[in-house]
Amino acid sequence: MSVQSNVEVHSEWGIVSARQAGRNLAKELGFGGVDQARITTAISELARNIYLYAEKGEIVLEGIEKKEAGGVHRGLRIVAKDQGPGIKSVREVMEDGYTTSGGLGAGLPGVKRLMDEFDIDSITGEGTVITVVKWLR
Amino acid sequence: MQPSVIEMINSYRDEVIAQWKKEITQVQEGEFNHTVPEAVFNETNKEFVELILHTLELKQNEAKEHLRSFTERLIHTGWPLSYFTKGLQVFRRVLLELMTSNDALPSKKVYETFSEVESWIDGIINQLVDEYSGSWENTLHLQKLALKELSAPLIPVFEKISVMPLVGTIDTERAKLIMESLLEGIIEHRSQVVLIDITGVPVVDTMVAHHIIQAAEAVRLVGAKCILVGIRPEIAQTIVNLGIDLGKFSTKSSLRKGIESGLELTHRKIVSV
Amino acid sequence: MRIPILKLNRYLLISIQVDLDDQTALQFQEDLLNKIHQEGSAGVVIDLTSVEMIDSFIAKVLGDVVEMSNLMGARVVLTGIQPGVAITLIDMGIMLEEVPTALDLEQGLEKLQQELEA
Repeated sequence: MSVQSNVEVHSEWGIVSARQAGRNLAKELGFGGVDQARITTAISELARNIYLYAEKGEIVLEGIEKKEAGGVHRGLRIVAKDQGPGIKSVREVMEDGYTTSGGLGAGLPGVKRLMDEFDIDSITGEGTVITVVKWLR
Repeated sequence: MQPSVIEMINSYRDEVIAQWKKEITQVQEGEFNHTVPEAVFNETNKEFVELILHTLELKQNEAKEHLRSFTERLIHTGWPLSYFTKGLQVFRRVLLELMTSNDALPSKKVYETFSEVESWIDGIINQLVDEYSGSWENTLHLQKLALKELSAPLIPVFEKISVMPLVGTIDTERAKLIMESLLEGIIEHRSQVVLIDITGVPVVDTMVAHHIIQAAEAVRLVGAKCILVGIRPEIAQTIVNLGIDLGKFSTKSSLRKGIESGLELTHRKIVSV
Repeated sequence: MRIPILKLNRYLLISIQVDLDDQTALQFQEDLLNKIHQEGSAGVVIDLTSVEMIDSFIAKVLGDVVEMSNLMGARVVLTGIQPGVAITLIDMGIMLEEVPTALDLEQGLEKLQQELEA
């Protein structure tokens, strides 16, 4: 599958366009209403983190496939990349209620719960790449 | 495999088959297939041992294909995997015993021959195990699908009041489906009160309680109220013993009491006429 | 972009029809508080039927707006939260515990009425 889209995030509007692109792709891939909400919310959190902490970056959305017993499994992968300051303590940001922005502190741990796979790669001073996947049920 | 080894195995063919059949019958008596008629068992044994020997003459992929169709058939009729692995182990022992019994094998070739036989039989065992586990995964997948279809329906019993009876074990996957069907049903029927009946849930542990609490919270967000009913004495005991806090939402012992309280919440009651 | 706020007797009615961006959400918070102050409203219904997504930021803005309105003496009820939105919020661990909810605008108004009478 080659459906892929990149959305630049360098303003608050980038957050809105990233989640709209995510909703469209999720619909196209056949995700139900609830999973569409999960996916767009996850994108919104990731895009907002980019905007708040790195100022700019991009969100890459892609339809993916994997082979399993019982046939081919389809899913949607979201990669959020930035060249911002990086995350000092990945363990801390994954704790519920941890916040540096005065928000609810539900962002990253929330994204992890919304999605099926979650991977975070961050180097202080160089940037952060967060990769998450939602599989079609 | 070296032609000389194949030739040697073939020269023991009849003895191997006879000895193997004797031993596999002993194994069978001790363990499995009491339900299989003797004729079928003998027939299968014959086919199996001949297939093992036959693989010596076939090319690798041909041998694989033969084994596959043989195992596929037996998996479907429910033969246990242990029949095959035991059968092959016995076969290897019988063969090696015969080959070494009458000094036909030059001692320096013993090791070489042993390892050839080992890798031949191991190859077959590996393939059988693969076939079996593949078929188990497949079955598991189908059962998961079947379980999904056991969805939980939301039943509108009165205007503004609906009931969701839960039956069976609740795992994370199912909990998600139940939650979706619950919330969508609430919107569809415009229910102000939903009664979740857990009479049919065998075990309520912290995980299940967590799912139920989450469902109740989500119900509140869409604008309805959730009442948990059908709490059996042993469930009440486990809930308290596990220290699960259900204090935030209403619980009633029976569906009837739940419905009464649902009517009260929507400012109605049942009267005799 | 500004979200229109309608006045109905003692109440304010808001139906959010757009995909909320952060600015619009904050602007709405300010507009609503000003309107409550100006009209001396007793209750507010915010209808979210058309909202397809609430992330942690918007959830915080909504939670804050409810709390702030309460401080100013106006009860707020959120209505029409969609199943997907509710499940997503729960998944994220956002319970909006202190926030009253109702199925739709009609029931939201009923709930306000009851709460104000009680």
